[in-house]
Amino acid sequence: MEKGLEQIGGLPCVGGSFVCDNRGDVIVSSDPAVLATVTMSTIGREVGLAFLALESASRPATRIDFVYDSWRLLAQDMGDAVFFVVCQPNVDMAIVRMTVDVVIAGWRKDSAAQKRLQQRRTERASLASPAALDQGSWSSWVTFASGIQAPGG
Amino acid sequence: MSDALTGSLSQLPLVDLLKMLAAGGQSGHLGLSSGLDHGDLFLLKGDLVHAECDIHLGEPAFARLVAWPSGQFRFEPQVPPPARTIDKPLERLLAESARAASEREAIRKVVPNMEVVPRLVRKAPGSSVTIEAQDWEMLALLNGQSTAAELARERKADELDFARALYRLKLLGLVELAAPQVAVPAQRPLAGPGFFTLLTTAVAGALGPLAEIIVDDAVEELGFTRATFPRDAVAALAERISGEIREPEKRVRFQQTMLQLLGSQRQQAA
Repeated sequence: MEKGLEQIGGLPCVGGSFVCDNRGDVIVSSDPAVLATVTMSTIGREVGLAFLALESASRPATRIDFVYDSWRLLAQDMGDAVFFVVCQPNVDMAIVRMTVDVVIAGWRKDSAAQKRLQQRRTERASLASPAALDQGSWSSWVTFASGIQAPGG
Repeated sequence: MSDALTGSLSQLPLVDLLKMLAAGGQSGHLGLSSGLDHGDLFLLKGDLVHAECDIHLGEPAFARLVAWPSGQFRFEPQVPPPARTIDKPLERLLAESARAASEREAIRKVVPNMEVVPRLVRKAPGSSVTIEAQDWEMLALLNGQSTAAELARERKADELDFARALYRLKLLGLVELAAPQVAVPAQRPLAGPGFFTLLTTAVAGALGPLAEIIVDDAVEELGFTRATFPRDAVAALAERISGEIREPEKRVRFQQTMLQLLGSQRQQAA
């Protein structure tokens, strides 16, 4: 998997990349200079839940592009994990997205990469529980989920 | 209202119109308009007694109105003036305005417009230079980049006064006036026909014989033609076409080909 991150890291205006499992734990990282591991974990957990929320709301997404003034973060959903790429604002995102696709396709054929991903496999849906979420997030989730189950209600 | 006299200043200049009304000992309101600008003059028994133009009143307003090269006028007799802001005889006002017009013309020949960029000449025009204190302050403003209009605004000066000072400094040989630097947009390097040959081959490998059409459609959707397609949009084009490829294997192979092509382009550019 590290080779894939190297490929991404070689692109212009890319500062690094990392992959988090659905709990937010970092599986592999190129150690992007701007992010501490704990920050990567927080991002990984929250973005994983965002993908779950979008899917639950029947608006599934496979990519989220966070654009800030001084940096940009691409989150690519892999199902069992989320692949993050840290970029500069002026990055050619089309190149990054295509490279991410190629790297993920390579990991799908790579048994070692698959093993690492499977070991950390967690169903996202199981994370939407009072044990995994803080009280505020759980309350929000319950409200959100009840809205989904009772359309028009 | 039916007594109103109307016409065009280009056919009957304001100076001639005023002379005519004064000679007839007329009283009334002379309304002037030129585009969005308006002005008002009032005569009383042949004397000009009041002028308004924008925020200006009296002689400054008259000086502005008399400089209008074109516009429309409407004279309504017997309309009383709202105030008296002018005491000078009309003949004197017209003589002063004629002098001002000559001065403006002389300035215009040296300072053609306020978009010029004034800057200090590199070489002194003589062994000694004498300038007025007010002109020294202006010299201190010159940075070789700001236009005369920008400098006048910065100094909160009337543009005509500023142009007059520039005129003096130009005649003294202390400043030169350059045309403003117009930023020419950098031309974007083009992808070129060679790129499209490689792209079409790659698309044909993934999508078959409709490759030419698919490429042309994608190019058009991005707002270009093959002849105008910029190199910095090549990745966006490749990504758009890759979205058309349904088979994952073929899509990834196409993406790999395009990324290699883009990588070699980057190396060439570097």
